[in-house]
Amino acid sequence: MNFKTKLLSLAFAGFMSASVVSVYAAEVTLVHDKPFWGEALQKVVDAATKSIGETMKQNAYSPPEQFKAYMQSSIAANDPPDIFTWWTGGVYEELIKSGQIAELDDIWAEMIKSGEFSEGVRDFYKVGDHIYGVPLHLSRWVVLYNKANYTKVGISEPKTWAEFLSNAEKLKAAGITPFVATTQDGWRGFIWFEEIMLRTNPEAYMGLHSGKIAYDSEPVRNAFKIWVDWYAKGYFTDPRSTEEVADFAKNKGSMNLIGDWAVGLVEKAGMKPGTDFGAFIMPNMDAALPSSAILEGSPIMLSKKGLAKPEVVKALKYFVSVEGANVWATASGNGLGNSKANPPNDVVNKINQDVAAMKTVSYPRWWEAVPADLQGEIVAELNRFMLSPTMETAESVMATTQKLNAAYWADKQ
Amino acid sequence: MVKYIDRESDAQLMQRIGWHQVKAVEDRAMRRNFWKAFAFMAPALFLVCGLLLMPVVYNIYFSFTKWKKFAGLDEFAGFSNYAKLPGNPYFDEAFYNTAIWVAASVVFPLAIGFGLAVFLRAVPFGNMFKNIIFLPRILAPTAVAVIWFHVYAPHGVINSLLAMVVGRPVDIGWLYQDNTVTPAIIATFVWQSVGLVMVLVLLGLSAIPKDPLEAARIDGATNGQVFRHIVMPLLMPTLVVVTILSVLSGFTTFDLLWVMGVGYPGQRTLSLAVYMYFESFQKGSWAFGSAIAVVIGIVVFSVTWIQTLMQSRVDKMTR
Repeated sequence: MNFKTKLLSLAFAGFMSASVVSVYAAEVTLVHDKPFWGEALQKVVDAATKSIGETMKQNAYSPPEQFKAYMQSSIAANDPPDIFTWWTGGVYEELIKSGQIAELDDIWAEMIKSGEFSEGVRDFYKVGDHIYGVPLHLSRWVVLYNKANYTKVGISEPKTWAEFLSNAEKLKAAGITPFVATTQDGWRGFIWFEEIMLRTNPEAYMGLHSGKIAYDSEPVRNAFKIWVDWYAKGYFTDPRSTEEVADFAKNKGSMNLIGDWAVGLVEKAGMKPGTDFGAFIMPNMDAALPSSAILEGSPIMLSKKGLAKPEVVKALKYFVSVEGANVWATASGNGLGNSKANPPNDVVNKINQDVAAMKTVSYPRWWEAVPADLQGEIVAELNRFMLSPTMETAESVMATTQKLNAAYWADKQ
Repeated sequence: MVKYIDRESDAQLMQRIGWHQVKAVEDRAMRRNFWKAFAFMAPALFLVCGLLLMPVVYNIYFSFTKWKKFAGLDEFAGFSNYAKLPGNPYFDEAFYNTAIWVAASVVFPLAIGFGLAVFLRAVPFGNMFKNIIFLPRILAPTAVAVIWFHVYAPHGVINSLLAMVVGRPVDIGWLYQDNTVTPAIIATFVWQSVGLVMVLVLLGLSAIPKDPLEAARIDGATNGQVFRHIVMPLLMPTLVVVTILSVLSGFTTFDLLWVMGVGYPGQRTLSLAVYMYFESFQKGSWAFGSAIAVVIGIVVFSVTWIQTLMQSRVDKMTR
């Protein structure tokens, strides 16, 4: 064997060894259902790979039902992913009941001790005596508004229900449709229903989720009356649109009621946060009620086998660290509740200040709070109302949804 | 010598001609050939067993469990999942809608595909038109659904064309109205499937022998009589195959209904396949969804079996 051949053999052996090592090297894969944040998540996993010295990747399943199916079959096969995103509410509790999800109490103790997270944020992910998730994002549902339109009409952020209605009326009078609302993707029907219920009767809103309040009760009927009235006045954009964010960015509607996670998406669509659009928490109908807002916070969770792997725990800790939160905020426009991290953008920063100043109370989103078995059918009914927004349809929707609701709770007893 | 042969037993004869040795060689060859044949068939057998039969068996098993979301896979439910089907308003609606779908997916593609096949045999540039008409067939149904979702959109092509015709803006929500959503999706289905029907009918037509046609014409039969009494009977086996394929695709259509019906909140787009997907994937009721899948399988199997019987009768009649 001459020198050249020996050298080539050594190089080949080295290459093969490196390949084998790389194949078997520890790798952390974040499994999620959010391809629309794929680029942003990639930036975080790349930063994590550099920072913690472990290879981190992401794997998106879409649509969400495919992701749910994957999780349900992997739990059935006792092989859930190490680290993954999920939802709060009923589906969160169902997953935890499987017994394969890790308790993150110790990690949260460190997070609280560092002064970066509050106990309030921690308790958002608590079920019973334990905590099972850390935030992927914490978003409040607010009204994004087009600043140029507000200036043009001579209005400002509303502080009261009357001002809110007056703003809508003035915009409409100026030929600008006040609110964006669509049935896009089949899940958005609950957004305005939830908000009007919360603004008019928060107690009844919460009662809907536990079966204490019927879907054909007076508080619900009142909410529908308001909704019908606003539709009759032409306050909403075409519900058949499939481009909610673009509708707002293209000024088809002046106000968009949505989670503040959408700020990054609106920015991508061409509007500058804080300059072109701002945000406010919708005021309550009854001024005596405390300020309130819907809080949504998808968790990142670990399976028990994931918790046993040091590299997975390191990756999770990186995500909620100041550095990780900053990368995530810049990439996606989302905050995850780390008080020492930079606010993701001016709009979210302003909302955070409002929440602190107004002592805003958080309420769960209808989507997570409603029993998961009722979610699809009821939201389809709410979509049906949006496509034919009359009191006649509202009565029919109330009757159908209450029938489903009553059957569900009767079955539970 | 003759006498000797007469007295020779079968065993002696076989011994004399070396039959056992020949048989042993043949058996060895057969064994060798069996393993060769098995090796060639193995990939297909593996695929059929692993990807078709095993999932079917698993699905039947799941339908007798209580599997819902994260629990119940190891709990036996008997026939309770099947017992929930009769009288279930969603199942009834899905069954009714599926029946409409199957009827539409047989009648329209068959009528239009047949008409096109007969017409395009006689026109110049027929091959070009055949290719154009067949083109949608090679597209994935999901892609077709997305394209037509936008064609039917409030500001889509159809409304724009109608606006040009009537001279004012047209704002019909084709996929958002009770009375238009099903016809709109059926039209899309026909657009995609008519090409295959046309090609199959063309093949059937070109396989018809010319002799009986010429003989009939010499005997003074009119075109209508030739078509009715010679072409149609000889084409019947092809039409039965086309009908079976259409029925199967009508029963199992999912993509178009799911993608195009996503914005429509009513139950008009709820077919058995969509209902099964909804229960399984959206609600996580895997056991119940599996029971619906088994029912779809039984119905499709029964219908196909009846059609196969019809086909064998037709074959006998035309033989």
